[in-house]
Amino acid sequence: MTIEAHGPVAVATTRKAAPGVFYLCLGILGLAVVAAILADWIAPYDPSATDFSALYQQPSSAHWFGTDQLGRDILSRVIHGARPSLLGAIALLTFATAVGVLIGTVAAWKRGWVDAVLARVTDVMFAFPGLLFVVLVIAVFDRGPGTAVIGMGLAFAPVIAKFTRAIALEEMARPYVDAYRLQGIGSVELCVRYVLPNLFPTLIGYLVVLFGEGLMSLAALNFLGFGAQPPSSEWGLMVQEGRGGVIQGIVGPALIPGLVIAVVVVATNVIGVRLSDKLAVKA
Amino acid sequence: MTDVVRVTGLRKAFDVTRRTPGIVAVENLSFRLGKADAIGVVGESGSGKSTLARMLVGLTRPDAGTIEFDGRVREWRERGRLARLRRAKEVQMVFQDPYGSLDRRLTVETALRNVLRRHQVDSSAVGTRIAELMDSVGLESRLLASRPHQLSGGQRQRVAIAKALAVEPAVLVLDEVTSALDVSVQAQILALLTDIRARTGVSLIFVSHDLAVVGKVTDSILVMYRGQAVEQGSTADVLRRPQHPYTEMLLSSAPGPGWRPERVAELRAAFAVVHDR
Repeated sequence: MTIEAHGPVAVATTRKAAPGVFYLCLGILGLAVVAAILADWIAPYDPSATDFSALYQQPSSAHWFGTDQLGRDILSRVIHGARPSLLGAIALLTFATAVGVLIGTVAAWKRGWVDAVLARVTDVMFAFPGLLFVVLVIAVFDRGPGTAVIGMGLAFAPVIAKFTRAIALEEMARPYVDAYRLQGIGSVELCVRYVLPNLFPTLIGYLVVLFGEGLMSLAALNFLGFGAQPPSSEWGLMVQEGRGGVIQGIVGPALIPGLVIAVVVVATNVIGVRLSDKLAVKA
Repeated sequence: MTDVVRVTGLRKAFDVTRRTPGIVAVENLSFRLGKADAIGVVGESGSGKSTLARMLVGLTRPDAGTIEFDGRVREWRERGRLARLRRAKEVQMVFQDPYGSLDRRLTVETALRNVLRRHQVDSSAVGTRIAELMDSVGLESRLLASRPHQLSGGQRQRVAIAKALAVEPAVLVLDEVTSALDVSVQAQILALLTDIRARTGVSLIFVSHDLAVVGKVTDSILVMYRGQAVEQGSTADVLRRPQHPYTEMLLSSAPGPGWRPERVAELRAAFAVVHDR
């Protein structure tokens, strides 16, 4: 927050991303979504097609982003990689939201020992670093995109549970909830039909911000080889495959998917923050 | 004539911690209320009047004492849909905060329709009943499509009153309903409540810190101090001839012509001597 002096009156303003930045970010995320949906039609090459006569090519008119260590077109792989990267983050967040919102709402609704037990369970889950938690899940089950999504989803769930509990407690303290009770509405119906929908505006903004974090975390897992496996063109895996070239001074295959991840994460953060503000004002 | 509400020996204490003895919010409180009567419950902040209101409507369970509606003692163990709907018809409450007492997602029409449908008003009659309710609280039908954030504080409070009346309760508890409103809107809401009481025969329990406001709409007044009723009587008697120094102090606290803050301090000191004895 900054306070600008205008004559005798000081005007307080909150720093926000300019509308132009917001729409730019919306455009970036839209582009990623379009790439994920239309990859088969818009990618110039088959993302798995190798060309040993064109290894580590510099960007050119034939290959806008150059080629990787197997001569595959990086642009085509980035476009095709949007699908597993975005779908993975969506699946992770859907799973984490289902678990987190359920725990958070029940804890806030029931309070007492139910709240205390759920708080301890989430504390235990919090105690493990997310990545370690996923490695444990993978050790128990098997490596693969599904396990990575579930493992990371379980690591994200306590964060969502805590947030949901906090906003649900605030919501339940509002007099309209008591008014509903007095009209003869039962607890479960009151919670599911009236209180939960009122949490969504606040929750959605938060989840959009978490989407970026989820995307980055999954990319990190794939980079470490715990999630997607070759020949997938998932962005984290692309960075991992491209790091061999960095030693030889060829940074494109690792840098380009890394930059794409960073840009999409920043874009979702900006959108999430703006969305939270807008929805909160409306609420 | 049977009392609509009969409260006997009501007590409620809140534990500070599990081991620390509780703060007594309401202690051995009793009163009666007849059909279409209006009683005012007055006291300063922390006197226990809101706790009393919440106990009356069933949102807070008393530690001791009984609450009867039409001769039927409230059973706290009763569960199930039918019991909830019956209790809803016994008593409804309008809350202090007009901004938080309506569901912000719902339009006025949807909010009223939901209440009416829940209480089995015939679907063909719902539209007519909504129009009647809007008319009875003095709201124009064009506001039916509005959501709470599009309404003023006074309009929101009218919608909250309409929602409570939609259930057709025998008793309406009004917890500081005018405190958050400006003076002109306060007067309109008080006139509206007097009118509703005369037309529908609903009994009113008017909880407020403001004796002047309570004096305008009630037949009797119960003055609370630290959870206890220190004075109870007809509104005219309590306002003109207060018997208890605390009531006198409350009356003297309202700024007006000839108001003397030092007199309020004197009365408070005198009351403390009486109370501490």
